[in-house]
Amino acid sequence: MQKPPIAIFALGIFAALAALLPLGYLLIRLSAGIEKALAELLRARTLELLANTLLLTVSVTLTAVVIGFAQAWLTTRSNLFGTAFFAVLGTLPLAIPSYVLALAYTSVFPWFNGFFASWITLSLATAPYVFLAVSAALIRSNANQEEVARSLGLSSFQVLRKVTWPQVRPAAMASGLLVALYVLSEFGAVSILRFDTFTRAIYNAYRGSFDRTAAASLAVVLVVLTLIVLYFEKRYRSNYTRVEKQSRQLRINLGGWRWPAAALLMLIAVGSSVLPIAALLGWSLSGEDWDLAEILQALGASLGIAISAGLVIGIFAVAVALWNVRFPSKLSSGVELTIWSSHALPAIVVALSLVFFGANLTPAIYQTVWLLIFAYLILFLPNALSVITTPIAQVSTAQEQVARSLGLGKLGAIFKLVLPMSKAGIWAGIALASLAVLKELPATLLLRPNSVDTLATELWAATETLSYSQAAPYALLLIIIAGVPALVLNAQARKLISEVNVK
Amino acid sequence: MTLLSIKNLSVKFGEQEILHDVNLDVENKELLAILGSSGAGKSTLLRLIAGFETPSAGEIWLDGKQVSSSTNLLAPENRGIGIVPQDSALFPHLTVRGNIEFGLLGYDKAQKHARVQELLTLTRMEEFADRKPDQLSGGQAQRVALARALAKKPALVLLDEPFSALDAELREVLRAEVKAVLKAEGATAILVTHDQEEALSLADRVAVMRSGTIIQVGTPTEIYNAPADLGIATFLGDSVLIEGEVVDDKVHTALGKLTALNHIEPGQKGVVAVRSENFYLQPNPNGESEVIGRVFFGHDAVVEVQTPSQKIRARSNGPFAPEVGMRVTVWVRGAVNFYPNSARN
Repeated sequence: MQKPPIAIFALGIFAALAALLPLGYLLIRLSAGIEKALAELLRARTLELLANTLLLTVSVTLTAVVIGFAQAWLTTRSNLFGTAFFAVLGTLPLAIPSYVLALAYTSVFPWFNGFFASWITLSLATAPYVFLAVSAALIRSNANQEEVARSLGLSSFQVLRKVTWPQVRPAAMASGLLVALYVLSEFGAVSILRFDTFTRAIYNAYRGSFDRTAAASLAVVLVVLTLIVLYFEKRYRSNYTRVEKQSRQLRINLGGWRWPAAALLMLIAVGSSVLPIAALLGWSLSGEDWDLAEILQALGASLGIAISAGLVIGIFAVAVALWNVRFPSKLSSGVELTIWSSHALPAIVVALSLVFFGANLTPAIYQTVWLLIFAYLILFLPNALSVITTPIAQVSTAQEQVARSLGLGKLGAIFKLVLPMSKAGIWAGIALASLAVLKELPATLLLRPNSVDTLATELWAATETLSYSQAAPYALLLIIIAGVPALVLNAQARKLISEVNVK
Repeated sequence: MTLLSIKNLSVKFGEQEILHDVNLDVENKELLAILGSSGAGKSTLLRLIAGFETPSAGEIWLDGKQVSSSTNLLAPENRGIGIVPQDSALFPHLTVRGNIEFGLLGYDKAQKHARVQELLTLTRMEEFADRKPDQLSGGQAQRVALARALAKKPALVLLDEPFSALDAELREVLRAEVKAVLKAEGATAILVTHDQEEALSLADRVAVMRSGTIIQVGTPTEIYNAPADLGIATFLGDSVLIEGEVVDDKVHTALGKLTALNHIEPGQKGVVAVRSENFYLQPNPNGESEVIGRVFFGHDAVVEVQTPSQKIRARSNGPFAPEVGMRVTVWVRGAVNFYPNSARN
């Protein structure tokens, strides 16, 4: 077993400690004021928040699974026309941050708020995750079994229920649980739509009264909810059985139902992307009161922070991936696991704990860009890591041994062979992390220096004063510079669109 | 002059001993083949020579310097040993030229260019210099891998089953080419293979390996004609074993009194190994043996014969091979190797 170079070791340990920090610090804070925290938790208000959060999470998850499954089945298993077109439409909402979607709707329909509005908005925003996972499972599932079932006398609906659904159920469950995690940590949309869930209450408790114990107690309840969902998500993910790739698929003849089916898919697409974008365009064009200089300044700040954060995250991700792939040990897998453990933590929780931590222990970086970038590192390192590990793992031992035999040391082999070979994947990981930073709202709101305004925070500020025509340009910019590139980089989406075409 | 010297080398992975007391000398400029079936420990031995594994006991000496022992390991990058892995392992982000010049670290631009050009010519890859590895055929990729390993004029080149991924026809052409390139460069090389034809046709000397140790070293002719034990005799070539007993200076068998190549003692019982090409089948209507099977290959044929005592396989000149059902007399041509039962265990 080989030892990693010291720089890799140091970066990896730092990243793991950073990942442990939010939860650790939160618990320390709470245990200091335990009576107050318990009193906070036992209030009727907490129960109400719990009910709201659970109601929203369950209803959005179920709705997203139904919509996503319908989209997936219709585009991969029916003889619907224009399946590639509908597949593209199905993934489009991935380009629109959910708070932008919420803003677009509430700006057109002033009455659009509360539970109903949040339910619709988040269902539309999260259905693509289910759509992608289920279509991938449908494309890979074996058509032979369905043919056998038909030959045994089952109707096409019975085949769907008894053969097809069981094959995609793990994918549907796993992606449904991902949606649940998404809803639990969702902050921007529910705030704009004024529906009280834990995230919004945490933010208000902190901002409104600077009541840190209340905010911290609520954050702990939210983390517990997250961990429960995460537990099930892990279970289903490991049960997910991969069936060998099958290019041949059975497509069911919809007959006269083709038109209603197409209309349904169109309706979902209009609701989740066409209508909101049209509304934002309308506001942007009609408003005279937006300030180009201010927009450009926010754009510059956003890009600057996103690119720096992306590069920092990239360096850590490369170090951790190298450690785990080229010099694996118990310690390295422990480090990776720790880093992953923070990926489901709601951003508001991470931000809140860093506020406490920064203000008390590291005042030098509190209220500076550095603490913000540190928060992004905790939040988005797992995203970059998952993209960067694969190409680094693809450099074979034989290739590395050849490089060593040609006179390169351990570090030399990394810099001259491993990194150049995985260049494309590393840049993709950095880009994805930067794009995630661009869209990030709650941590940016809590941790940014007062002098820094980003696209997301400017949008937020304009929304708070209901100045929709001022908010709209920021929303459109976010879709264009963050959403669309992220969608283009989404490997799963690209793969699906290419595979749906194969008939 | 001895370039590489392996002394009493053993290696264990956990409890399992992969190599046991390996001794081997490789002379300067020779091409040595290590022949053995899979699991014999051939690849482990190569990794030890290259410096990727530490021995649990024993030593490796390269060019008069100790490079491996249980306490001392010279890093692979400081050994000057080139390797050609089984799957060629070209660097996919570099062109053919980039792959070949990868290891030329201390060279200036002109030297680098000249050396790469020389190797491109030698391996007949000039026109592919700017291609990426994914645009090369399997044979071309192996030629580039060889050029890459040779670029720095290493003291020693290790080839790990370099032809096993290629189809039979290409394999034969490439073998000859690789040998020519190695000889033109004056390189010392160790080739690991499980293919006896490859080892016998290519190498100056062959080391036969079995269950983690080297059991015989010699020229291809020595190894083929005088296998050290029954195991090698049956592993190399197509041998038929016939029981016999030494009487005076001959081995008496059901197929006649045979002359032994090796040392024999009167009274010994054991078996002789007869190569299938050393049987002569004489058509004879009153013969005691009968042809019961025949597989025709064109240039020759393998004929199965039931003799009164046992079944044998004989290789016979194709067009003249006897037909199934014919009666024949079986003769053994030339001398044979005798393996006494006492030496079997």
